[in-house]
This record gives sequence, structure tokens and C-alpha cells, in this order.
Amino acid sequence: MTGSRNEVHFDLNEKNEYIEGSLSFSHGQIFLSEGEESRRFSLKGIKEAVQRTYSGCSTVELVPENGKDDFSDSILLCRFSMGRLNEMGEFCKVVNHYIETGEETEISRKVLRVCPKCGRSYPKGLDVCLFCVDRGYIFRHTAELVKPYIKKLLFASILVTISSLLSAAAPIFNARLVDNYLNNTSLSVENAISGVISCVIVLVTLQVLSAVFRIISQRRANRISCSLSDELRRKIYDRVQRLSMSSISKKTTGDLIKRITRDTETVRSFITEQGLYAVEKVISFIAVLVILLTISPFLTFLVFIPVPIVVYVIYKFWATIRVKYDKQWRVESRVNSVLHDIVQGIRVIKSFGTEKREISKFDAICKKLAVVSAKNEQLWALTFPYITFLMGFGEFLVIFFGGRAVINGSLSVGQLLEFTLYLAYIYQPLRWISSLPRRLGEFTTSIVKIFEILDERDEKVISADPNAEFNNGDIEFKNVRFGYKAYESVLKDINLHVKQGQMIGLVGHSGAGKSTLINLILRLYETDSGSITIGGRDIRLIPEENYRRKTAVVFQETFLFAGTVYDNIAYARPGAERSEIIAAAKAANAHKFIMDLPDGYNTIVGEKGHNLSGGERQRISIARAVLRNPEILILDEATSALDPETEQAIQEALSRLVKGRTTFAIAHRLSTLKNADSLVVIEKGRIAETGTHSELVAQNGIYAKLVKAQKQTAKLNK
Amino acid sequence: MSNTMDKISPETLKAEYLTPENCEFFKSETGFTGAKINGVLHNRIILKRAMPFASPSDYICITDAEKNELGIIEHISDFGDKQIKIINSELELRYFCPVITEISSIKEKMGQFYFDVTVKGKKKSFTVKDISKNIRMHGENIDITDVDGNRYRITDFSAISGKSRRKLEPYIY
Repeated sequence: MTGSRNEVHFDLNEKNEYIEGSLSFSHGQIFLSEGEESRRFSLKGIKEAVQRTYSGCSTVELVPENGKDDFSDSILLCRFSMGRLNEMGEFCKVVNHYIETGEETEISRKVLRVCPKCGRSYPKGLDVCLFCVDRGYIFRHTAELVKPYIKKLLFASILVTISSLLSAAAPIFNARLVDNYLNNTSLSVENAISGVISCVIVLVTLQVLSAVFRIISQRRANRISCSLSDELRRKIYDRVQRLSMSSISKKTTGDLIKRITRDTETVRSFITEQGLYAVEKVISFIAVLVILLTISPFLTFLVFIPVPIVVYVIYKFWATIRVKYDKQWRVESRVNSVLHDIVQGIRVIKSFGTEKREISKFDAICKKLAVVSAKNEQLWALTFPYITFLMGFGEFLVIFFGGRAVINGSLSVGQLLEFTLYLAYIYQPLRWISSLPRRLGEFTTSIVKIFEILDERDEKVISADPNAEFNNGDIEFKNVRFGYKAYESVLKDINLHVKQGQMIGLVGHSGAGKSTLINLILRLYETDSGSITIGGRDIRLIPEENYRRKTAVVFQETFLFAGTVYDNIAYARPGAERSEIIAAAKAANAHKFIMDLPDGYNTIVGEKGHNLSGGERQRISIARAVLRNPEILILDEATSALDPETEQAIQEALSRLVKGRTTFAIAHRLSTLKNADSLVVIEKGRIAETGTHSELVAQNGIYAKLVKAQKQTAKLNK
Repeated sequence: MSNTMDKISPETLKAEYLTPENCEFFKSETGFTGAKINGVLHNRIILKRAMPFASPSDYICITDAEKNELGIIEHISDFGDKQIKIINSELELRYFCPVITEISSIKEKMGQFYFDVTVKGKKKSFTVKDISKNIRMHGENIDITDVDGNRYRITDFSAISGKSRRKLEPYIY
């Protein structure tokens, strides 16, 4: 069976040799095809399809119902390299969905992240193939960006072109100066001097006018440049803020910052600088070419003899030198990162007495940099003079043949001078054109990265009714399945009903899926299948702003923004009354320590301000939650890593906060969940046990084991 | 302070090393690797290298399917030939890192590096992002990781053709 929409491909055999094979799924059966061989697997008696990832390769296995705990009776379906990971994950999803519901769905091709044209995977964080990205895409997006500025940009271009043409007119008057006044014996001295003066006046006027036009153009260009980069930065920042967590988490913080700062800068400089000069260079080139042809078509032909070679050599030279300098740049980065490590870890280095080791490490990388830099400089020094010579070769030809023409009388001295002066005007645009591919490369990379964010479609379902809200904190999970990666479900078969005002303690080992469940409640991610309802309404149908207004979180790590204590509490509800801020701080047991700070609520906190302890930061976080007055409250390890006294103060504050609100609390220290109405034990992404503390202890299951283990640890610590 | 540091005492080294005396590997009927460890039969085990680059044949951790550690092999060479064959075949399946024999071209386009190479006699193309992080040198070995997470290895940089070496040289330091 081939060509099925539920067909995926694998590329390794049982000996890890490259092969071509396919898996397809239809009518409850999996069809495997590998060369001539084909096999069929029924899903009857199969519990799930599992993908196992190793180093550089992966497998898909079928796990039988009531199979052995050690998975030794699993059926190994196929092996494949990492490029197939996503499609195989989607395949497993479809198979598992069929096993759970009997419903046959199709593989979602959009998550496969493979270029349909070249088959290469999209780079991490991008949904565009950088290898195949077409010129049309770049052109469309550039035009979109430039559109609001096109008139201003054209005006600045015209000004700079006029400036350039005025400057280019100078050699004409230089030629006249030589031919009509300096080299003209028929003129009287007075006439010659007055002619020289008038020529000088014209030359000065041309230069002054050229400078004036250039200044005006530059000012215009600067204004356009500032507006463009400002708009671009704001657009990206706005988009980043609105993207879902699943989209944002595909990119690193550094990556996002680079797109907002560096990529916008590259795009700005290309559009406003190269775009501006493009018109000038092309028009100047044509104008000078016409002038040269008018003076002497033969000499013009000579000028252009070395041009193809010059352009080719410059292009090749840049390509080679760029690779070499890229290496130097990378070694420099390495030097910086070693230095950064040493400075950041200076306390560790001192305490372990490893200064000498670190010095020799730094020495080694510095020596490497010195070697690479020296080689590059040597290459530059040896190659560049040849290029300069080559570029000037046309000039030698012109002087030789032009000189002969002057001696023969077919060309005047002034005309030869004019011709040689114009050579610079011809080679300048050529040099610019040869450096264009590099600049264009940088520009296209940045524009692709920028529009990859701007064009990203939000995965969230947009609510039809912008006023939709939820009226109570009654939460229900129905058959929820979710995974951060297509091939790895973190939560499976989650069915849970939490009544308004209940406090639920989420318990389980690290990595069991507790925080993921919280992320789904917070709507940071969307479920892969199943639904979450709140107050009887699907959370996807409630606009995000309305939803978030009624939820609050207290994390283990409290992030405080640069600003005052007051600002940080008021972050939960800007515009809150001062009395409300103080009341919230009091309820969070934070008021007392805030009043001990030098400037009370106006104390600056953060990197450049007052350093608060972990417990103090935590209480600010609770004050934020109090101020928010949420229907749904989430406490994610809110009291871990605190000393007993601080924890007691925070527990006290929390017990006030949770009253009447639907609360989900994660805590490794089980004693902190003693007030929970119900405990939910999560094990390997599934709900393994639910009940009160005493019910679960009586069950003697996972929870009971966790309690015993913690009691033993507590005894050992005493 | 003396330059020589005291070694960690044997009591501190709590890891239980597995030896041919207390551990025997086998291939199960379903094709998975199993082991009898201290008399207990495990029909499916997982072998993991603790130091896959620095010491691929030493310190092999053995876990069950639930990732519970069953023990560590200090040196694979401590075992007999048949056992070594089973251990190595399992490790080869787990660590897939085909060897590059020739580099035809490395092209850079928009910050990505596109490699065209020969692997196991077949032409292969892959993309590398952030080249300084994804090309790692370990002695004579060079490991390259592509955007998908595939690994490729050049086992002896000096042994590949001069043309291939020149192509890769600007990216290693």
C-alpha cells in the first residue's frame, strides 16, 4: 500500500544500515514495506505505539496489552534516523488515537517541518527552508516593509543621485581647464587666468551643491532609518508577546533578542543604505558610461576589458576571505566565552585553587586566535595588492592607448585627464556590486528570520465571542493528551473533575507531568486531544485576556522586574489603590520586611537594586496573587527551598489566599499539601491515584511509598 | 598545598561494577538484549555509554526499561569475545554515528551550512546550524551534529582526502 496519507518513511534496518522503507496505517492495521518485503501488523491486542529515541537514531515499537513490565515482548517495527522523528511521532499519535477511540485520523503534515521542495528539515526555530527560500518571498516581504517609506526613500535617493551627478560633472570642467586655459597657447595670460578662476568657481560650486544635496539626503535617510527600525522592532516585540508558549519555546531567549535587535538592524541598514545607494550607483554608472563613450568608444572598450576578471576575482576573493574571517570570528567568540566563564566562575576557581589551569586554558585559545589572525592578515596582505593592481589595469591600458592618441592628436590632454578621472567612477560601483552578494546574504537571512516570527500563525483557537468568560472555577479534564514534541506524549488519558473552591495537591516524581498539567490549566499550551472545560465552557473559547484575569500563579522561582517593590506587587493589577497594595502585602506576610527596607515600598529591587532573599521574593509573589484575586490559583512548588520559619510565614499567607478559590498545588514536600481536599498522583503522564491523604495511604500505592520515603529522609536528617 | 591530590577512597566509590562473574548478556527471542545480573534475569536491558566521546568502551551503564540502574561495566574488554559482540552490537544500535569518508562540498546559505558528503558509500546531504557548537573534536575524531540531531563522524581527519580536509578546515579549531 503506497501513497497513503497516513504513510511515513523509515531509513534504517535492524543493523543500522541505510535503507528505504515505509509504514502506513489504515483500517486498524499497520503495513510495513522494506524493499521487496512487506508485512502487516494488526492493532488488536496492542496497547500503544511507542517511539524510543537513542543517540542519532530512533525506533517505533508496538506494546502489547498486558505485556511484560520490562517491554521485552514489544514488537520492534522499524528504526530510523533523527530526520524522521517528527513524522514517526505523528504516525504514533494517529495509531494511538485509533487504539484509544477507534477513530481513524490523518497525519498532520504541517508539524513534520520538512521542506516539501528539497526534503531538508527546517532549522530549529524556523518554519522556512533557508535553502529553498525563493526570491519572491524575500521581494514580497521587503516590498511590504518598504511600502510606507517608498516615497521618502525615493526622494532621498534622488537627492543623493543629484549630489553624485554634480560631483561627477567635475572632471568635465577639469578637462576644460586643461584644454581651454592651461594648455591653450593662443589665449592671453589675463584671459587664461580669468578662465582658470571661472573653472575653479564652477568646481567649487559643484562640490558645495553636491555636499548640500548629500547632507539633505543623509538627514532624510537617517529619519527613514530610525522610523523603519523602530517600527520593525515594535512589530516583532508585539508579535513575540502575543505568540503562544509552544511557539516561543521553540526559540531561545538569545535567539528572540537577536531577532528584535540584530536582525532588525541588518534589515534597516540594508534597506536604508544599500537601497539608497543602489539608485545612485546605477545612475552614476550609466551617466559616466555615456560620457566615456562620448569621449572615446575605443578607450571605453579598453576600460571594460579587465572588468569581468576584476568582478570575478573580487567576488572569489570575498568568498575566500569571508570563510577565513568567519573562522577568526568564531575563535574570537570562543575566547570571549572562555573569558566569560572565568570571570563568572571566579569564586569557584579561587575556592578550588585552579587559577593556573584556567590561565593555561585561556592562553591556549588566545594562541589559537593569534595563529588564525596572523594567517588571515598574511592572506590579506599578499592578496589585496594584486587585486588593487588588477583593478588599476584598465587605467594602464587607457594611459598607454590614450597617451598615444594624445600624441597623434586624436585626443586632447584634457580629455585624457577627464577619462582617467572617470575611471574611479566606473570602478566604484563595480566594487559595490561585488560586495553586494555578501550584504544581500546577510539581509535575506535576517528578513527570513524576522518574517518567520511576523508570519507565524498562532496555534490557539480564537474565541468567537470576545466577551466570553467563566463564571466559576469548576474545572474538568476530558481525555486530555499532550506532548511538547509530536513524538513524546507527556500527559495521557487525563480525566479529572475539580469543583469550585477545591484545593488539589498534585503529587508525583520529577518529570511525571505535574508542571505540564499546570501549563495546560494556564493555557500556555493547547491540548493535543481531549478538552479542558472551566465553568462548563471549553477554555479555548474564552479569550485569553478574560481567562488570565481570573488566574494567578505563585512559582518556585519568583521573577522580579527591575523597579520598585510597589511596582512588582502592582504588576498583578496595574492601577490598584495604594491601600490595596499594602493590604495584599499584609495578607502575604510581606508588609513587615518591606517596611524594614530603606525606602519601604519604593525600594528598587533587581540586579541594580536591593537584593531580596528567596523567602521575601516569594512573599512578593504571593502579594501579587492576592492582589489579582483569582478564581483559579496555582501554587507551583511555592514553598520549597525555604527555611522552616520562612515556610511557616508563607504557609500562613497561602492558607489565607487559597480560601474559596480553586487551587492546584504542586509540592514535593507532601506535608505542605495536608490541607488539600484531594490529592492527584501523576505517574508517567497518567493519573495513577486520587483521594485524600488517608485514603491514599490506605491504598498503599505510589503515594504511600512517597510518604514513607519522605518520613525516612526526615528521620535521617534529624 | 601539594600538587598531587588524594584519590577518592574505595569506600566512596559505591558504584557496583559488573563483571563476567556476575553478569551475562544474551539476545532474547524478540531480538532485544537481555542480561542475567547477580542471578536475576532481565529480558530487556538498556546499555548507555557514560562517556561516549572520551571513553566509548568503558563505563557502560546498564538499566532496565524503567531506567533503573542495574550496574556498570568498567571495561567492555573484561568480558569474553561472545559477550563483547553482544554488548557492542547493542551499543552500535543505540549510538548511530555513520562515518564520513568524503566531503564533496560545504555551502553556507543564510547562516546554515549545507554539507554534501559520502557516508557508507552513499551520498548524503545534511544541514548544520551554529557550526562552532556542532562540530566537536575528540583527538583524531571529529563529530558533526546536524539540525535533526543526527551524528556523523570523521574517524581520522588526517586520513581523509586533502580536498575533503581543506573543505572542513575553516570550521575546526
